[in-house]
Amino acid sequence: LGAGQSIQQTYDLTRYLEHQLRTLAGTYLNYLGPPFNEPDFNPPRLVRAEPRVPSATVDLDLWRGLTDNARLAANYRAYSRLLCYLRLLDGQVGTAELRHRLAHFCASLQGLVLSIGGVMSSLGYPLPAGPAAPPAGPPGAPAAPNDFLKKMDDFWLLKELQTWLWRSAKDFNRLKKKVPPAVVTLRLEARGF
Amino acid sequence: GLVQSCGHIIPESPVLALGSNFTALCILNESCLDFGNIYASQIIWKIKNRLVPKEQYREINRTVSSVTFNDTSSLATPLTCNILADGQIEQNIYGITVTVGLAPEKPKNLSCIVHQKSRFTYAMTCTWNPGRHTFLDTQFRLRYRWPEQIFPDCIPKDVNNSCTIDDSQFFVNTEIWVEATNALGKAVSDPLVVDPIDIVKPLPPQNVSITSGLLPTVLQLVWENWISDAVMTLKFNIRYRIVGDTNWMEVPPEDTASPRTSFSIQGLRPYTEYVFSIRCMKEDGVGYWSDWSEEKTGITIED
Repeated sequence: LGAGQSIQQTYDLTRYLEHQLRTLAGTYLNYLGPPFNEPDFNPPRLVRAEPRVPSATVDLDLWRGLTDNARLAANYRAYSRLLCYLRLLDGQVGTAELRHRLAHFCASLQGLVLSIGGVMSSLGYPLPAGPAAPPAGPPGAPAAPNDFLKKMDDFWLLKELQTWLWRSAKDFNRLKKKVPPAVVTLRLEARGF
Repeated sequence: GLVQSCGHIIPESPVLALGSNFTALCILNESCLDFGNIYASQIIWKIKNRLVPKEQYREINRTVSSVTFNDTSSLATPLTCNILADGQIEQNIYGITVTVGLAPEKPKNLSCIVHQKSRFTYAMTCTWNPGRHTFLDTQFRLRYRWPEQIFPDCIPKDVNNSCTIDDSQFFVNTEIWVEATNALGKAVSDPLVVDPIDIVKPLPPQNVSITSGLLPTVLQLVWENWISDAVMTLKFNIRYRIVGDTNWMEVPPEDTASPRTSFSIQGLRPYTEYVFSIRCMKEDGVGYWSDWSEEKTGITIED
């Protein structure tokens, strides 16, 4: 795939993930139950010993000021880590339907990590070193499904993921316009550009 | 056991390629030689109950006889090694089953289509030409992967030329191929690399309704699209005919070549009942048309 096609495909996948997450998050929060599924539930982010889920909160000017390479790498690392947490979620859910939809979403997110890697390669950028570190489970007892803090982590994971996807769609849309489609690239190259 | 076996055949239960040559050995137990006064030279080979011509035998030594078949097509089960003991009574020493068949051919013409099953589920069905009949138990597997991620194989059920993957993933180029394996070998199809979003056959527009407008020559169609814009935007074909008439008329495709959930059809006859049907496909024309929707009727108002 040329860079342009690769970026377009990644953009489409990001929007597709956003679409899936919109319904999936609602279903999952209903599964967690109150207060997590109440529309106005907006808890402060818990300060944990170590940041567990890559926060989507960034300084937009800083973010825009990054090079394409740095921004793609940040996306790549974030989704690689988010995928690990999501896979933890995937294994513990009680209902088959929800497990199936989470598994589908995980596979799509895996596809996004690959796609971002494909875009970086097509633009000649190196992939960020090493796979995302598997999340360290909470010290001591394994997370109990009905443990409030565990549910809070799940809540924030979905929230951060939605924000990451929302911003990534914009990133790829912007990148799409910066990188000419393959045809134009060929013509440019033909003229010795 | 109660009865001591006086010999055996090697190979035990061979699977042989049709048209190849084959040699089997019958090996007598030394113990039987002393006891039964039997020698390899007295061995008789049979296919089922048919005697194998003696020219195909060869006495290797006192205890071993070989039989050779230049073309396995004449072989059948069982192949038995027998002894004509004391010149009269023919006794069976050992028998083997022989299976003759062909190695699988390379599966060809692999093609796949993603059928939308419901609002959120898309199943990808791939079909291929399995090649010649092999006369053997031949396993087909549909395999697919992304770079760095291999998915579980799809094992066909009761057929050997298609398989359905229940959960398609869009917007990632997927490499798909077929492997055929039996006792005589393995063959692999050429890979198909496709983004499943480009081979979708969507569900037709749903809940089509017709409403008459203010004008006697206009009817408005309204419907639901069961595929999200985040998956794909759609274009449409709309066809209609007068009830009782067999000729369909079609709205010019360019008029319905963009995403929509309604369309007003003009130039109709006043006070006339029409039948309508709609189909859709991916807006850029890549993929497959849906089936036609359920037919719905509507009547234009009087002039």
